[in-house]
Amino acid sequence: MQHYRSAAAIAATAVLVLTACSTPESVSTPEAPDAAPDAAVAAAEAAALEAVGGETLDGQVTMLGVLGGEELDAFLTVLAPFEAATGIEVQYEGTRDFAAVLQTRVDGGNPPDLVATPAIGEMSALADDGVLADLGEVVGTDVLEANFSTSLLETGSLDGAVFGIFSSVNLGGLIWYNPETYDGPTDPASWDELQEWAQGAADAGATPWCVGLASGAASGWPAADFIDEILLRQAGPEFHKRWQDGEEPWTSPELEAAFATYGETVAEGMVYGGTTSALSTDFAKAANPMFTDPPGCSLLAQATFMGGIITDSFPDLAPGEQLDFFPAPDFEAELPGIRSISGEIIGMINQTPQSEALVKYLATREAGTLIASTGRWLSPNQNVDDEIYEDYFLRKASQVLVDAEGTYSLGNSLMPQTTVDAFWKAGLDYTQDPSAIGEILTTIEATR
Amino acid sequence: MIADRIQLVLVAGALILALTFAYLRLGDRALARLARGWYRRLMPWLFVGPAALVVGLILVFPGVSTVFLSFFDSDGTQFVGLGNYVSTLSDPVVAIALRNTGLWVILLPALSAVVGLTIAVLADRVRYGGLVKAALFLPIAISAVAAGVIWSFMYEYQPPLASQTGTMNAVLTLLPTVEPIAWIIDTATNNYALIGATLWTQAGFAMVIFAAALRSIPDELQEAARLDGASERQAFRYVTLPLLVPTVVVVMTTMTVIALKAFDIVYVMTNGAYGTDVLSTVMYRALFTAKDNGAAGAIATILMLAVVPIMIYNLRQFRRQGSGV
Repeated sequence: MQHYRSAAAIAATAVLVLTACSTPESVSTPEAPDAAPDAAVAAAEAAALEAVGGETLDGQVTMLGVLGGEELDAFLTVLAPFEAATGIEVQYEGTRDFAAVLQTRVDGGNPPDLVATPAIGEMSALADDGVLADLGEVVGTDVLEANFSTSLLETGSLDGAVFGIFSSVNLGGLIWYNPETYDGPTDPASWDELQEWAQGAADAGATPWCVGLASGAASGWPAADFIDEILLRQAGPEFHKRWQDGEEPWTSPELEAAFATYGETVAEGMVYGGTTSALSTDFAKAANPMFTDPPGCSLLAQATFMGGIITDSFPDLAPGEQLDFFPAPDFEAELPGIRSISGEIIGMINQTPQSEALVKYLATREAGTLIASTGRWLSPNQNVDDEIYEDYFLRKASQVLVDAEGTYSLGNSLMPQTTVDAFWKAGLDYTQDPSAIGEILTTIEATR
Repeated sequence: MIADRIQLVLVAGALILALTFAYLRLGDRALARLARGWYRRLMPWLFVGPAALVVGLILVFPGVSTVFLSFFDSDGTQFVGLGNYVSTLSDPVVAIALRNTGLWVILLPALSAVVGLTIAVLADRVRYGGLVKAALFLPIAISAVAAGVIWSFMYEYQPPLASQTGTMNAVLTLLPTVEPIAWIIDTATNNYALIGATLWTQAGFAMVIFAAALRSIPDELQEAARLDGASERQAFRYVTLPLLVPTVVVVMTTMTVIALKAFDIVYVMTNGAYGTDVLSTVMYRALFTAKDNGAAGAIATILMLAVVPIMIYNLRQFRRQGSGV
C-alpha cells in the first residue's frame, strides 16, 4: 500500500491525459474536500510562524512528490496555513514517475528542496549517498522524539541520522466488507476461521474474495503488500526484519508459506471472476462487485485508504452500515495483534531557511492535526488528539493502532526499487501460476 | 511566475534571432574578404555550422558517451569490456524483449503500410472519404501515454456473464458463446494488442504520406493505362504501385524506427508484465530502477546499432529520389 499513491496517480486518467510527465502545482487554490476546523488552521498558522522564528520569510520551497488529484488537494490544505503565515510559497510537483524524475534532477544538479515519497527504500539509498540532510539536526532530536513514535523515527533513520520524517500513515491488512450482505465472521479469531467461512461460501458456489491487482506500471503491488503483511504476522517481526535487511533469502520456506496463504484468496473458485479477473481488475475497482445484487464477492484485503476510494465510487454508502472493515485476523496464534503500517516520508535535499521552516512545520502537532482532519490519512504525529478523526474509518483504524500489540512497517517499502519491482511482478506471476513459486522466488532473490 | 516565463521566452527568442542574424551577416562579410575559391568552399559550412554544433551537442555527444558507458560498470568507474553485453544478452527478460521487439519491427511497418495505403486509395473514391481520413488522422494528435490509457479501457476485461466495460470485449461478446478475452494479460494476444494500439496512433501518418504521394502521380498515366485496356486493378498494380515504392520505403522505415523505440504504450499498459517487455522498457528499468548505467548503455547501443542500417538505407533512397517523398 505504500506505493498506492504512485499507483493511484497512474489510475488518475485525467492527470495522465493532461500531462505526460509531471504537474507543477501551486498551492494558491486549495479546495478543501473536508475543511479543517478554523481553530486547527489558526493553530497551524501560529505553529508555522514559530517555525520561521516569528517573522515572515518569503521566498519559495520546491517539493517533489507523488500526489495528484484529490489527494494532492487534501495535502495542499495542510500546507496552506504555512504559506499564509510565513509568506513562503510551496511549489509542489507531483509525478507518477518519482524515482526517474528525482534521479534525473539530482544528477543534473537541480534537485528539489524537499522530497515526499512512500518509497522509503529509495530515500534510504539517497541518504546513503549523502544527498539527504539530517533532520535530527534541522528540527531537533528532542522535538522529533516528542512528536513521533520510536518505530516511525527508526524507519526514517540511517546510521543514527534521520533522513525522513513521516507526513502521513496508512494502516495495512484490513478486510473490507459490506455489512448488509456479508454473513461471515466480523471478528474472526484466526485466519483459518475466516478461510473456513470463505471455503464454505465457495463450496456453495459464491466467490468470497474480491481481488484487483492491476495498477498500470505498478501492477501487482496489492498482492505484494498483502504477502508482506502475511509474512510479518506469520513468520514474525524478527524474521520479517531479517528478510527486509537481506539476511534471509526470498527462497526461505517462510516466504513460500506467505505466498501460499495469499494464494488461498486467488485460487479458482475463491476469487471473483477467476484469476484472469484478479489480474485485470484495477485495484481501485476491486471492491465494486461487492455492491452488485447479488454480490459478486464479499471480502477485500486492503489498507485504510481503500475506504476513501470505495466511497469515491459509491458516494451514497453509509460508512459502518454498507461498508466496514475488520483488521485481518492473526495468521499465527503465537503472534497476536501485530499490525503493519506504511506511509509517506519527507526528506530534505537543499537546506535553505525556507525548506527548514517547512520541515519544522510539518513535524509539529498542529500540522499533524491538519493531516488527520483531511480524512484521508492517519496522522504520524503521536500527540494528535484522536477526536480529530471525523472520518468513521480513520477513527476506527486509529483505535486498531492503539490496541495493537506491535506496529511495524511493511518490508517492501524499505527495499531497493529493483527488488520491489520484482516483488510486484512476482505477485502477478504467482497469481497466474502458483506452481511456479520456486522460479518466482529465485527471480526476486536474483535482484538483490 | 507565468509572466516571468513569457518574458524569458520572448527575450531569449529575440536574442537568438539577433545572434543568428549577426553570425550570418558577419560571417558572410568575413568570408567575402577571402579569395573567391575559398569563399565558395567555406560558405556552406557557415550555414551548416550552427546546426552541426547543436546536433553534435545533443545527439552525437550523448550517443558516443552512451556507447562509452556501456563498457563500464553500473556507476561508470570500472571498465568491464563486453561484460554488460554478455550479461544483457544472456538475461531471459532481454530474450523476451528481443523477441517482442522483432515482432514489433515486422508487424507495425507492415500493418501501417497496408492500412495507410488501403485507406488512402479507397477514401478518394467515396463521398465521405474526408471523414474517414480525418478519423484515421486524429489519433496522431494524441500523446502515446494518453493512447495507452485509452486502449487500456478499450481492452478492459470483465469475467464472463458480467457486463463488459471494455469496448473490444463488449463487441466480441455480442456473438453467442464467445467468451471475453483478457487482451493485455493473455500471452496469446497481449503483444498484438499493444502493437494494435500503436498502429491506431500511427496509421494516420502513413495514410497522409500515401495520400500525398497518390496526388503527385499524374492523372495522364492512369488515363493512358485505362485507354490501353487495363482494368482498375491492373492499373493500380502496374502503374500506381510501382510509382509508390519510394513512399512505401519511407513509411516502412519510419515505422520500423517507431517500432524499435516503442516505449510509452507498453510502459503505460503493461510495464512489460506477462511477457510484453520490449528493449526500451528493459533499458528504462536498467537505467532508472536498477540505476545501472552500463547495462542501460549496452541496451541503448544495441538499439542504436539496429537503427543504423535502416537509416543508411533510408538516406540512400532519399539520395536516389533526389528529394524523397
